[in-house]
Amino acid sequence: MRKLLVVFALVALSGCATVNKMESGNQNIGERMTLTLEGAWNHVALPNQGPGQTWTMEGLPVDTLLIYSGLKDGEAIHRPGAGGQKSFNFRATMQPDEIVGLFEGFLALDGSQFQLTKLEPATFGGEKGFHFEYQLVRKLDGVTLSGMGYGTVSKRELFALVYQAPRLTFFSRHKDRVEQIARSARVKT
Amino acid sequence: MKRRRFLAGGCACGAGLIPGLVFGQSDWSAPARFARPDAATDEGGLWAMMDREESRLRRSPFTLRDAQFQAYIQDIACRLGGEHCPDIRVHVMRTPFFNASMAPNGMMQVWTGLLLRVENEAQLAAVLGHEIGHYLSRHSIERLRQARSNSAAAQIMGLFGVVGLVGQLGVAASMMAYSRDHEREADRIGLLLMHKAGYATDEAAKVWRDLQLELKERPDGGSRNPLFSTHPAPEDRQQELAALAATFQGGETNAAEWQKRVQPFLRDWLVEEVKRGQHEETIALLTRLAHDIPSRPEYLVARGETYRLRGASEDLDKALADYKMALAVEGVPAEAYRGLGMIQRLRDQPAEARTNLLRYLELAPQAPDAGMIKSYVEELKS
Repeated sequence: MRKLLVVFALVALSGCATVNKMESGNQNIGERMTLTLEGAWNHVALPNQGPGQTWTMEGLPVDTLLIYSGLKDGEAIHRPGAGGQKSFNFRATMQPDEIVGLFEGFLALDGSQFQLTKLEPATFGGEKGFHFEYQLVRKLDGVTLSGMGYGTVSKRELFALVYQAPRLTFFSRHKDRVEQIARSARVKT
Repeated sequence: MKRRRFLAGGCACGAGLIPGLVFGQSDWSAPARFARPDAATDEGGLWAMMDREESRLRRSPFTLRDAQFQAYIQDIACRLGGEHCPDIRVHVMRTPFFNASMAPNGMMQVWTGLLLRVENEAQLAAVLGHEIGHYLSRHSIERLRQARSNSAAAQIMGLFGVVGLVGQLGVAASMMAYSRDHEREADRIGLLLMHKAGYATDEAAKVWRDLQLELKERPDGGSRNPLFSTHPAPEDRQQELAALAATFQGGETNAAEWQKRVQPFLRDWLVEEVKRGQHEETIALLTRLAHDIPSRPEYLVARGETYRLRGASEDLDKALADYKMALAVEGVPAEAYRGLGMIQRLRDQPAEARTNLLRYLELAPQAPDAGMIKSYVEELKS
């Protein structure tokens, strides 16, 4: 059954998703954010994906880098309907802990366990922002993921990166690379 | 992995409980303990699958590993199960949704979202008794055979589809909803087991009533809940259960013992509940719990947090009121000070904000958000 489902999933994904290479160098993300990459990433475009971009190094669902650029007041952080009974909507007046709570609620929607391990002030995109770290035990398979994120609110819009990967091997393999991307982020004011 | 979900559903699900109906089985008696079926039979195959699932559960990071609490819940199940006790194995799983299920091999799962919601032993016994009722009647075997005769593959894939969408209250019921007759039978048996074990049977209807209160707060009013599409109207079921329970007299709730036992876990379960982001349901739940169990400031603080995170009109005022009420009760969690300080900071009350945030840091120096809170304290100094 497991193999059958994996095949179904692969067929479904191969028919719907497109993968583009994000080359080293400067990349414009949306209208107001640029990132500088040292090494290529895979940008996975899924139909009806929602407001964030999804990048990966190892392939989905092994590791995921979610990138939000200019999410507006009132918009959900996920595709329509993906929040279950209720959307997880960004509000421009949110404090950092509330924004982290949005990601937390969404990532744990299926019963996965999200444990925040750090939330602190940080500069992101050249603006005053925040940095957070977490552990996520995935309900689906019991795998423990490590995660981290950066974010800032500029002109009432949310800019953020959230990266997660299995705690063993994969997270540490790409953590520095993600940190470098976060440091390179610039938000046009 | 999906097979696991099917297996979980193949357990007797139905936390959503509870139809009621004609109670004419006071002469019902439990069957003798079940022997392990021949591995070559369909039932033997299902047992083998459930055994593998149980092995996985034992290793799962979601299992609540507290031997004393585990034994306490197991004991409640044993009181209900009678001579079947040696065959019933309860696994408490850390998942913030209302669910309990039981497999034909005796594996029972109870999720912490259910434990947060019940107010006494009798209410938990109502759910466990219902699940044991399915077990004793071997309903899952009947379902397996029925599914096989109706193109099992199509059904199973359909069930997976539903499961992928949920993760909400009543999730299990959507996966493997029993027929109405099965639910009624499990209810009748569940109430009998409660009564025989000395529990107050009128608590069963309250579980359903309380669940309804939450579901009605959903944006869709609960109308999309699978429980509502496959079962009689919830109001009818609540009334039927209450009518059935009225035929029994006496019984204990063991509320004080229950509250003592869950106290060590309460804060974690509440944090997980608030994190679900389903603010309306959570507020309904916490309003009930804060009213029914006023000695616990944790419920007020959790509701305050929910209001603060929702941030709708007047929510911050409501949050402030909850934090302040909680502070009047002994043993208030540190989060009450953080919540107060955060709101006062937003409202440009720097001195009060700083005092409360410092108090939070004093009480929870290792909190994951300590770095952020310290930065606020510094900012408020200037």
